[in-house]
Amino acid sequence: MKKSTFLGSALLLAFASLLSACNQTNSGPNATTTANPSAGAVSSNSIPIGIALAQTSNVALLGQEGIQGAKIAEKYFNDKGGINGTPIRLVVQDTGGEEAGAINAFQTLITQNQVVGIVGPTLSQQAFSAGPIAERAKVPVIGASNTAKGVPEIGDYVARVSAPVAIVAPNSIKAALKINPKIEKVAVFYAQNDAFSKSETETFQQTVKDQKLDLVTVQKFQTTDTDFQTQATNAINAKPDLIVISGLAADGGNLVRQLRELGYKGIIIGGNGFNTSNIFAVCKALCDGVLVAQAYSPEHPNEVNKVFRTTYVNQYKKEPPQFSAQAFTAVQVYVEALKALDQKSKVTAMPLPQLRTELNKQILAGKYDTPLGEIAFTPVGDVIQNDFYVAQLKVDKDGNNGKFAFLK
Amino acid sequence: MDFTLLLQQLLNGLSIGSVYAIFALGYTLIFSILGIINFAHGALFTLGAYFTYALMGERFGFNGLLANVALPVQLPFSIALILGSVLVGLVGVAIERIAFRPLRRRRADPLLTVVSSLGVALVIVNAIQYLVGSESYNFPVNTYGNLPVAINFGTADKPITIRTVQIVIFAVSVAIMGILTYCINYTKFGKAMKAVAEDPITANLLGIPTDFFIVITFFISSFLGGVAGTLVGSSVSIADPYFGIRYGLKGLAVIVLGGLGSIPGAVLGGLVIGLVEAFVPADYSAYKDAFAFGILFIMLLVRPQGLLGRRFVQKV
Amino acid sequence: MAEFLANYGFLIVSMVLGALLGLSLYLPLMTGQLSLASPGFYALGGYIAAILSTQVFKVSGGLFPIGLVLLEMLIAGVVSGILGVVVGIPALRLRGIYLAIATIAFVEILRILSLNLDITGGAVGIFGIPQPFQTPLEYLWIALPLLIVSMVILYRLERIRVGRAFTAIREDELAAGAMGIDPTYYKVLAFTLGAILAGVVGALSAHFLNTWNARQGTFDASIVYLTSVLIGGTRTFVGPVLGGMVFTALPEVLRAIADTAGLPLWLAQFLRDGRLIIFGLLIVLGTIFFPQGLVTPDLLKRQRHK
Repeated sequence: MKKSTFLGSALLLAFASLLSACNQTNSGPNATTTANPSAGAVSSNSIPIGIALAQTSNVALLGQEGIQGAKIAEKYFNDKGGINGTPIRLVVQDTGGEEAGAINAFQTLITQNQVVGIVGPTLSQQAFSAGPIAERAKVPVIGASNTAKGVPEIGDYVARVSAPVAIVAPNSIKAALKINPKIEKVAVFYAQNDAFSKSETETFQQTVKDQKLDLVTVQKFQTTDTDFQTQATNAINAKPDLIVISGLAADGGNLVRQLRELGYKGIIIGGNGFNTSNIFAVCKALCDGVLVAQAYSPEHPNEVNKVFRTTYVNQYKKEPPQFSAQAFTAVQVYVEALKALDQKSKVTAMPLPQLRTELNKQILAGKYDTPLGEIAFTPVGDVIQNDFYVAQLKVDKDGNNGKFAFLK
Repeated sequence: MDFTLLLQQLLNGLSIGSVYAIFALGYTLIFSILGIINFAHGALFTLGAYFTYALMGERFGFNGLLANVALPVQLPFSIALILGSVLVGLVGVAIERIAFRPLRRRRADPLLTVVSSLGVALVIVNAIQYLVGSESYNFPVNTYGNLPVAINFGTADKPITIRTVQIVIFAVSVAIMGILTYCINYTKFGKAMKAVAEDPITANLLGIPTDFFIVITFFISSFLGGVAGTLVGSSVSIADPYFGIRYGLKGLAVIVLGGLGSIPGAVLGGLVIGLVEAFVPADYSAYKDAFAFGILFIMLLVRPQGLLGRRFVQKV
Repeated sequence: MAEFLANYGFLIVSMVLGALLGLSLYLPLMTGQLSLASPGFYALGGYIAAILSTQVFKVSGGLFPIGLVLLEMLIAGVVSGILGVVVGIPALRLRGIYLAIATIAFVEILRILSLNLDITGGAVGIFGIPQPFQTPLEYLWIALPLLIVSMVILYRLERIRVGRAFTAIREDELAAGAMGIDPTYYKVLAFTLGAILAGVVGALSAHFLNTWNARQGTFDASIVYLTSVLIGGTRTFVGPVLGGMVFTALPEVLRAIADTAGLPLWLAQFLRDGRLIIFGLLIVLGTIFFPQGLVTPDLLKRQRHK
């Protein structure tokens, strides 16, 4: 007994000393230099950009997709000469799925890794928590997957490239009417514990009314639900010709599958949550024909998207998902803003606080030709995007190969 | 409410409830023998689905350490299900060895076993995520051969449909309940198990190898967890490594309602909660989980031993 | 040192808050009752502060007055205390695992309510909570005195009649009842004190995290705090304090180790993506090797005799 308590206190001591010891090291494993905190200037070897996305917890999948896109961007722009000769360097910190994790990741990036700006976090709720931290430290943040209302309004330093896709909801309903002009009755489903789905469904329901269609039933579910027997049979009993779903990939995919298995034959529209190849694993062949509104199309014809798409397909053997494209775009915005800034005065010679502030101004001022198409920012930092798409899911009979086919 | 609708809701409730029931069977078995709650059961449930998926020779995705790996075997669903569940059973035995036995030997506070099992759950779920990423997986389309995907008990005009896979889950959970109840009550083996549950020390003096029976209990419970995970996965896909954990709390409500440690109680509790959820009016569907936990709370105050539990001496 | 504080300011305050939450879970444990209700009261306190500061006390421009934060903490404490008594009286007739399950159900019901009510902001929650301080570190001005006061109270509590009654009930409730101690009264008292503390901490945390939503104070959080208390030690209040601090810091420590230069790449990778595996292993090992927790009364005694 005595021995173990001694061990315990020794452990505690070791623990306390670890924290302070760890503070001595201040650069990532792939760093070539140590930052110089006293002057706060970026070292001339590479310019660090922070990536704060989820690598653990149950939102890891979204974070992982984002990190893939950012990594492709890092290589692509460094091969093209970086910032007028100085390469960029991504510093990735895991946010997990919690607010505190996002704040810690932001803190580490801002003070320890001395980044010029941050891409992230994964969830809108994390943005509300970590955004103010960056705002107070005067560090620019570009959200690459935050779609909730109010994210750009967090502060002057917070912007996003992820369009609140509620704007595009009408497109997919119009596309459905093009496929079947006889649609009259519409059933709407939404995940009511998901902030984004809730706001998206309001847009969908408004569009249904605007198109003079008959909204026969609104069914709610939770993103954690797996059994939609009740909601599905309730909706099918109302005999709809069109079903619109706002949810995430796992629950939305399950819902599609169960609707089809229970005998629904009409058109199904999915919201932005369906924008991931993950959906194919969930509903396999039964996904076939689902319409999804998109903020990104792999087939966008500009140069940068062609390179991005080929690189992604070569590496991961599938089409790039929207979250990867948005993260790539966020890194691209940083690179181009830094370049523009560098032409005015050398960024590697600027003190870090000044660089961050100037960079933030430059980001909002610029126009960018990205995989998402032409984008710019409103003064508050929300994205202005011209191109939105509607895709139809195409899956072969045995359900193993799925892709998004874009409707013209 | 017309008759068709009533029948449909009844079927809906049984369909939701059968998933809870199949989850709760293995959960409650451990309690009946050891008087502890194994919070790692949800993780074992997940593990079963992943093992079966792997044994069918299906490919894993592009995240995690084992990106794009597939086993060189391609077993049919039924065999993969049994083999995968046996593997989960062995994992369960290992967990008993590592995380439970040292605590039992020391007569540690049962609360510590709760914490220990939570730690195990954390390790399993995150190990899965580390190895094969967190994307969704699903079994091949023809898992159940030529069975129709859904059965209509009504007419073409007034359908009362239920998915076949739900009927399978329901049938399997009732069958498991029957087999377990029979084994525990009418075989020598079961009587020995009961003796261990009543009083492990006396049972040991009477020559019953207590440790062996506890290991067997863990094996069966984990095996059932693996079967349940695979069947539910085939019904709703394997969303991510957290997919079994999500049933953990609801499963807790189910086994308390049915009676902690009661095998028929697990099935009854599951079906009752499923029915309650199905009959929550659509306007209040958001609160359906609150209804389930509300019932649990009230049940605990009124009748802590649950619907079918017996009053037993508190071990905890 | 200044750089260290800037780096870890948020974490240091989180550790203090973690210690406080550990204490709120420890209070019912003093009477031998495992209640996981603390996170529910923590969530409630956070919502009270979030709603009051964004809708009632509208302060325009500049920093939010500290006095108002303290007032919110007081209100949150009072409301949590009342709810603690209301829930505690019926629930504390249960023991052991049954009580734990009942409190889990209570936390879930609160979570589902906050997810669906308009006043709590539904799924998004409440954001843009005003700040009383410039930097996260300055929250220590409130958090640290709160911790010290709680620790002093507990130190005294463990030595007066009430504390002895708690211990008597923990050791043997029947015998304590026979000696004329009213178990129900003391159990509800301990439970309510824990609820008040959790509510107060929640109110402060809402400001500290800038936002509050239904994902705060859920069952998962209960697990972390339960772990920190049981591994820290359940026989003296020092255990939960240290346990709460260590387990709050652990993920960040692992992050810092992963960032250490010179590690082999695979190890750094594992520390980064497999952090929770290590976390889980530590929990299992902790329960097996330190069943009494790391900090036990005889450990403290020995320190004193040295």
